[in-house]
Amino acid sequence: MNDVPLQWEARQHAMDFLHLEADLLDRRRLPEWLELLHADLDYRIPVRTTRERSATTTFSAAAFHMIEDRSTCQARVDRFASEFAWAEDPPSRTRRFVSNVQALYADDARDTIDVRSNLLVFRARGEDAAIHLSGERQDVLSRGPQGWQLRSRTVLLDHTSLPTLNLAIFL
Amino acid sequence: MSTPISPRALELLEDMRDNFEQGLVPLSVYNDPELSEVELDRVFNRNWVFLAHESEIPEPGDYVLRTIGEDPWIVVRDESGTIRVLLDSCRHRGAQVCRADKGNASHFRCPYHGWTYKNSGDLAGVPHRVESYRELDLKQWGLVRAPHVDTHRGLVFACLAADAPELSDYLGGIAWYLDVHLALTEFEVLGDPHRWVVGANWKIGAENFAGDSYHTESVHRSVVEVSLFPSILLKHGVAAQGKRHISGLGGHAANLNHDVGAPEEAQFWGYPSEVTEQFDAEGMDPDQYELAKWSKLSTGTVFPNLSYLCSAFVDAPGRPAGTVLMLRQWQPRGPAAMELWSWILVPKGASDEYKERVARVATASFSPSGNFEEDDTAIWSTIARTAGSRYARSRNLKLNYQMGMPGMAEIERDENWRGPGVALMSDLEDGGQRTVQRRWIEEMLRP
Repeated sequence: MNDVPLQWEARQHAMDFLHLEADLLDRRRLPEWLELLHADLDYRIPVRTTRERSATTTFSAAAFHMIEDRSTCQARVDRFASEFAWAEDPPSRTRRFVSNVQALYADDARDTIDVRSNLLVFRARGEDAAIHLSGERQDVLSRGPQGWQLRSRTVLLDHTSLPTLNLAIFL
Repeated sequence: MSTPISPRALELLEDMRDNFEQGLVPLSVYNDPELSEVELDRVFNRNWVFLAHESEIPEPGDYVLRTIGEDPWIVVRDESGTIRVLLDSCRHRGAQVCRADKGNASHFRCPYHGWTYKNSGDLAGVPHRVESYRELDLKQWGLVRAPHVDTHRGLVFACLAADAPELSDYLGGIAWYLDVHLALTEFEVLGDPHRWVVGANWKIGAENFAGDSYHTESVHRSVVEVSLFPSILLKHGVAAQGKRHISGLGGHAANLNHDVGAPEEAQFWGYPSEVTEQFDAEGMDPDQYELAKWSKLSTGTVFPNLSYLCSAFVDAPGRPAGTVLMLRQWQPRGPAAMELWSWILVPKGASDEYKERVARVATASFSPSGNFEEDDTAIWSTIARTAGSRYARSRNLKLNYQMGMPGMAEIERDENWRGPGVALMSDLEDGGQRTVQRRWIEEMLRP
């Protein structure tokens, strides 16, 4: 049980990071959110399908709702800054609920944390009926000179057909 | 397959038909519950409807679950290699026999009472048959098969009308434009299709890809601003020499952007040399190959609800481009919603590295998160709201589809055009959209 305090510490770092991140995204402080992204970020939201129970996976190996790196996230944020990015003008109101956080240091230097958490995103846009996106995040956080950064993220959505007119938000 | 239609719906359709040649279209056709019901019968249940790409079901037993209109159909390759399209409904009590979006199965077994069907649709087993169903004729009680199933260059279609035309006759001239892409080499679907639900009528999508070039400067300006797309491809008008809008294809339409004249290098929509080296002109006529060679962007719609798009994109400024060939289907989900299905096609012989690049640029451009697509759907969903308004319905408010019509502009027909249909030398006109609408009215008014 010696590693219980370490697990606790890792989870505390992870929760601090995820809560800060959710706050920045919900407040659309996207340039600040970009600073939380590692230079070698690998960010994926694979397409999900309904499969029989014996199937080894329900996620597509080649099709993604988002497949991003640091530069493509930057491009998306730059586009949202344009006055012609109608997808988020007016911006949607979002609220990210992050829970069930499990975290473990992945190396002895305690510079990398493997994190699993649940994500529920509430999104309302104009007067459209609000939608929810639900899924699991599998993250790797990495500690550098600027503190913790997101090194990789896989979002495993619970939806096969997304109930949203677009994915103009980051998950 | 005659379906009842209310006097009000009939009046609306006849009014649309009578004013159509003036380029006037009732706004309420984009959100009308009665018309939406009629569409399922008169448009989706009797035209050839796209279901899948053959590469999704390469092996015997491979299946995917798809929809015609809103109905579930299993598209399966049976043990003999024949593609079957089977209504996903047990003949005994009607329960769905397929519980997954895709998979491989020799049989489909109904969970309710255990009736079991071969993947050809034939009924193979009925529990307690000897005791209780001795006289049951298995041949009479197979899964219902779509009466007509056919493929064109890997695209699987079905038609539920008893008196269906041949698929090749149905496609007519649009097949020539599809083949400019599909006959160059063998394509396969990259992964699984994207699926998402948008609060807009399905016809808006079909019309947009049929020839709404006009919207790109306004809707998609942001992607040019951040250098995700060359601005030249969004410029319109007389200066844009290589723009062609093709109509006169019987409900189908195409929109082309190519280099007319003497460009220095072949375009092929920006496919890299590792891909174009594998292109084979043998499968197409020389005019098609010439068009492919100088093409930069193509879109089109196959009536009723299949569209395609081909162009090169990047996912971040300065990156190498990837060429996206996308198949897009607009599935009706009631009068004010559609489910978008989107397939990315890649040349089967391309490298894994190139396929990954295509996955990235396709996702970043045309997908639920696409930098292009996000803005389209945000706007389309507002049309459903106004189209459903009492005011639009009670006053029969008309939309203006007169762009480029005689009197509005003098648009020349390209007399030297080598492909089928009427080629107009401008992309600032609504002919392709009216082509889709004209066919829709005909189908809706045909008992």
